[in-house]
Amino acid sequence: MNPPIHRNPITAVESPAVGVTIDGLTKNFGTFQALKNVSFTVEPGEIFVLMGPSGSGKSVLLKHIVGLEAATAGRVLINGQDATAEHTLERIRIALVFQAGALFNSLSVYDNLALYPREHRFGDEATIRDKVMRALQILSLENSAQKFPSELSGGMRKRVAIARALVMEPQLMLYDEPTSELDPVMSATISEIIATLKDEYHVTTIVVSHDRELALGIADRVGILMGGELVFLGPPASLRQPADPRIADFFHPRIDLKNPRFKTLET
Amino acid sequence: MKQFTHFLEGFGSAVQLLFQSARFVGTLPRQRARFIDQCYLIGYTTLPIVAILCFFMGSVLALQSGYSMENFGAKQFIGSLVGLSFARELGPVIVAILVAGRVGSAITAELASMKVYQEVDALVTMNIPPARILVLPRLAAVLVMMPVLAIIGNLIGWFGGAVVCKYVESIAIEPEAYFSALRRYMKFKDVGTGLMKAEIFGFVVVLICCSIGLNTRGGPREIGASVTKAVVVSLISILVLDYFVTKALM
Amino acid sequence: MNTAQQTARVGLFFLLGLALTWVTWETLSDGKLFKQTGYSLVAGFDNLKELKQGDEVRMAGVKIGSVERTRLAGRRAEAVLRIDPGVKIASDATATIVMAGLIGTNYIGLDLGTPGAPVLTDGAELRTKITPDINAIMTELGNLGQKLEGALGSITTTVNGDGKNPGLFQKLDRLVTDNSTKIDTTMTNLASATEKINKGEGTLGKLLNDSKLHDELVATVSEIKGAATDAKSFVADAQTLVNQVKSGKGTLGALIFDETAGNDLKVVTRNLRDISDKIAKGEGTLGKLLTDDSLYLSAQSTLKKADSAIDSLGDSGPITAVGAAAKVLF
Ligand SMILES: Nc1ncnc2c1ncn2[C@@H]1O[C@H](COP(=O)(O)OP(=O)(O)OP(=O)(O)O)[C@@H](O)[C@H]1O
Ligand SMILES: [Mg+2]
Repeated sequence: MNPPIHRNPITAVESPAVGVTIDGLTKNFGTFQALKNVSFTVEPGEIFVLMGPSGSGKSVLLKHIVGLEAATAGRVLINGQDATAEHTLERIRIALVFQAGALFNSLSVYDNLALYPREHRFGDEATIRDKVMRALQILSLENSAQKFPSELSGGMRKRVAIARALVMEPQLMLYDEPTSELDPVMSATISEIIATLKDEYHVTTIVVSHDRELALGIADRVGILMGGELVFLGPPASLRQPADPRIADFFHPRIDLKNPRFKTLET
Repeated sequence: MKQFTHFLEGFGSAVQLLFQSARFVGTLPRQRARFIDQCYLIGYTTLPIVAILCFFMGSVLALQSGYSMENFGAKQFIGSLVGLSFARELGPVIVAILVAGRVGSAITAELASMKVYQEVDALVTMNIPPARILVLPRLAAVLVMMPVLAIIGNLIGWFGGAVVCKYVESIAIEPEAYFSALRRYMKFKDVGTGLMKAEIFGFVVVLICCSIGLNTRGGPREIGASVTKAVVVSLISILVLDYFVTKALM
Repeated sequence: MNTAQQTARVGLFFLLGLALTWVTWETLSDGKLFKQTGYSLVAGFDNLKELKQGDEVRMAGVKIGSVERTRLAGRRAEAVLRIDPGVKIASDATATIVMAGLIGTNYIGLDLGTPGAPVLTDGAELRTKITPDINAIMTELGNLGQKLEGALGSITTTVNGDGKNPGLFQKLDRLVTDNSTKIDTTMTNLASATEKINKGEGTLGKLLNDSKLHDELVATVSEIKGAATDAKSFVADAQTLVNQVKSGKGTLGALIFDETAGNDLKVVTRNLRDISDKIAKGEGTLGKLLTDDSLYLSAQSTLKKADSAIDSLGDSGPITAVGAAAKVLF
């Protein structure tokens, strides 16, 4: 099978879609092991959903892919190039939607979105304006263009972060909890965006999410991290009846309100 | 020992930041708006406090030298003393300290919070090096603004001395005599040396503050700690550098 | 505030800085970095002392240029002067290094030279004159101070004595104390002489009480009285002198360095005393006249002779008579 061709939505320049290989990745923060020998591959043009309980190392893994963290052992390859190498980011456009948004607080929403195209000279101010306003429209933010991040709600920040990633026209798109603070309608919109980018432009996508519906709806493959270990890797269908009791527990937590867990901890 | 390694680390990262920024000098014309913005912050908005402090520093210098020089009847040399010490030493050091306190702390606070709230990480993933858009415009702005602040501070300091000499009864030296004494032993080289010193101090202060800000790790508490550290390191650097630069420029 | 406004402010601010720097430069370097006006002259000295670049050049006190630079040329030091354009300097004008203040502010002073002398042109050499520098003056002042101190010291010794030898004031004091009794004696002697004359004692007394001779003698006595007054005024003069010396006035200067004046005073006083002593003891003509009765007769005859002489001389006043008497007497 030929690799899918990534097509830039604006320039329509076509290039092979980006593949990500994570090879024996281990990360220690002091004595704490955040990632333990994690290995998997994300095929070009694929939507990979990474799941796992809070604190299992999902965000840390994403940071390794964009080169913000250096691995203690193992490596991350993007199209065969080390993620921490400087030129990787220069050659491959990677967008990361941070869990907390990471908006530029001193810039307006509009300028947050316009920064990347301006710095990388996508075109004149009018072209950039078109692109920015379109991204804002997709996320229903057109009325907030002149606001500053401090004036936004948590969900709006997340949407601005996603819009900012869209404007980058990335080949590899990383979402850290894109729908965690959003209403069902907005969540559906995000799912649609992810699917459209994959179908139209063959954007390789990695989504970190707790949202089981989103995951099962759009994922080509799913990985589950627990305590820094990759405990599951496979198609979403096989998650409907998970064999691993840990995964079953994760998806169908037994809630016994008569006998809450913290009560047993207290005694 | 640990302190020493910290110092070396800090020094190393500042030098690294300097070279990283230097690589992007070519992008300055495109960053005109940012550059102007920083010029405004570093130069224009710092002027009032520079003016006030230099005025009173010149006044106090004249007052003190008037008091001590009266003892051996050399009052007519107050102009020379105030002029030279202000041009060569006090002017540049005062301006640099003000820039460290007012501009440097703001730079560190801003960059540290950008670092803590992952804005810097966002820039890195966008392949926009922080050195290019955060550090370079500030360094360029301080290079352009520092001599302007220093010369204005200098002249205001001289003027402050002249006012004290005229209106303080125990001194009572006319401005004409004061300025002629000031001119007698002053070459432009003295003023130029001062401007050069101010330039070096300002540049080093901004570089240090940028570097410490960008190397902040942790949360809001660390932002405060970084600002304190940046100001302290800047002040020490100014005074230590002052010795060596003075010696080198002599 | 919009960006344009901000840009404008930053731009103006920067221009202000440039302008101020330029003004400072111009002021401090006398603008010579931009324009070289006037012409230059060379002044050679053995030693430029405190003269330095930028110091003024003045002609008859008027600033006409400045010291452009100083340099060593062989065995002498040269100051290159930049003279304002239009200032003409005579070739015989002389340059000196003048101090304007005690702490090293110097300038080059030029005199006017003679009118009509040829004018110096660019690069010409000025005539120079050496003036003592501040150090030399200070050294001399120091020496002078020492000398003054020495002089004052010796004056003090002269006046107050040095322990072994009495000082001037002691000497004068002693002089006056020693002689005051003698002066007194003189006065007393004179007084007693007059008394004797009054009582008709002695030749003169008899002469006086002899009414015939009275008239003639009145003049003689008044002559003698005049002499006594003279003696008195002499004593008074001496006393004044002593007083003046005592109070440090007048001839003190001469007296300080000239002891003979003091000695003279002594001698004069002694002579005076001797004379009065001799008169009192009947020594000398006047003494004999005053004390010796035996002279009376001869005096009488003398006076008779004088009388006849006067008669023979016709109508002459007592003064002529006394004059004749005096001729006989002395
Ligand atoms: N910079 C760091 N220094 C030390 N420990 C860290 C650091 N970053 C993450 N960790 C630790 O690594 C573990 C994984 O963190 P991570 O942020 O990847 O969790 P997560 O899976 O993203 O959780 P969540 O779903 O809540 O976002 C956590 O226990 C966290 O404490
Ligand atoms: Mg996370």
